[in-house]
Amino acid sequence: MIERILILLLMLTGLWSIISKRNIIKKIFGFTLLNNAVVMLFVLEGSRIGKSAPILEEGISQVVDPVPQALMLTAIVIGVCMTALALALAFYLYKASGSFDIRKIREAVHDES
Amino acid sequence: MKPGTRWTQFWTVLSFAALAAVLVPVFVIDAPWPAAARDYVEAQGVREIGSYNLVSAVYLGYRIFDTVGEIIVLIASVIGTVAVFSAAGAVLAEGYEIDLRNMSDREKQEIMDDSSFTLPGEKRHTHALRTHLLEVVTGVLGPVVVLFGFYIMVYGHSSPGGGFQGGVIIASGIVFLALGNRMESSTMLTRPPVLERIESAAFLVLALASFGGMFTGTGFFGDFLKEFALYPAGFMMIMKVSIGLIVGAGIGYLCIAMVGREIT
Repeated sequence: MIERILILLLMLTGLWSIISKRNIIKKIFGFTLLNNAVVMLFVLEGSRIGKSAPILEEGISQVVDPVPQALMLTAIVIGVCMTALALALAFYLYKASGSFDIRKIREAVHDES
Repeated sequence: MKPGTRWTQFWTVLSFAALAAVLVPVFVIDAPWPAAARDYVEAQGVREIGSYNLVSAVYLGYRIFDTVGEIIVLIASVIGTVAVFSAAGAVLAEGYEIDLRNMSDREKQEIMDDSSFTLPGEKRHTHALRTHLLEVVTGVLGPVVVLFGFYIMVYGHSSPGGGFQGGVIIASGIVFLALGNRMESSTMLTRPPVLERIESAAFLVLALASFGGMFTGTGFFGDFLKEFALYPAGFMMIMKVSIGLIVGAGIGYLCIAMVGREIT
């Protein structure tokens, strides 16, 4: 139970960072924290029904559920790619407006239009 | 303080509390995890897919469409990132070499000021942002890391590993080579056109292998090498190596794009 509460706290930290921070880089940090919390939650939940890693060698039984691990494998790579794309967009906004602060970016966009 | 600030804080806290109220039951509820999928894969995975690593059996056999969709997302994200970078006015670095010949003296001085951890006399113009320590360590480790990535990739059916894991290790090896290679021993693996071609060729192999099952009666993404039975994980090997090369080249390309130089 305690590990799930810790993962919940990590996830809420990521959400708080996305909602309340004004710096785009901190928002991207929050996005990454959220992604990692989901990955950890799935791996933790899938490991509750077994004891050993899902590699069938001699004498291995009671393996953990391999399905959430396989899904999270793709989710990790997707998370890295989305972080890279978000950082590229942040770089573009910084080049266009000269700031990472969303209020200043909004003012710069209003001035342009 | 602006008049709207307090309301903004109120709405921020309210939306956060609403999200937390949705999330807390998801985490606290103690529902039993269903074991049906685990039991089926444990009993049938080795016979149907030919992989002792059940995670590989799931993402390369039972859920191969999921993996292919993920590969397409990865390629789209690489294309988008590089397009946004070039629209914002950055050029791709070729192995992190910085060409100082066309810069003014002030820009050169800025780059020299940015490069810490070097003694004043040892800064060389072609390696302005690197130190001897970084260069030697990453240059020696790079080929070893790439080789280890290939090992993880190829043995993913019988030991911990697989296409994605080996791919990201190959990507970190490519980053090491890009940071550490010297002018006289440069490698082709850190050049963006070469990485683009590796990624395209690996995706072509993946797409062609997906049609192979149509001619042997096992269907789209079916195991067309199962009939020959020379090697039980032959189809998985094609999938693993092509996925590993796509992931390695794609993420290595992203990292090399991020150490590129701005056009000033």
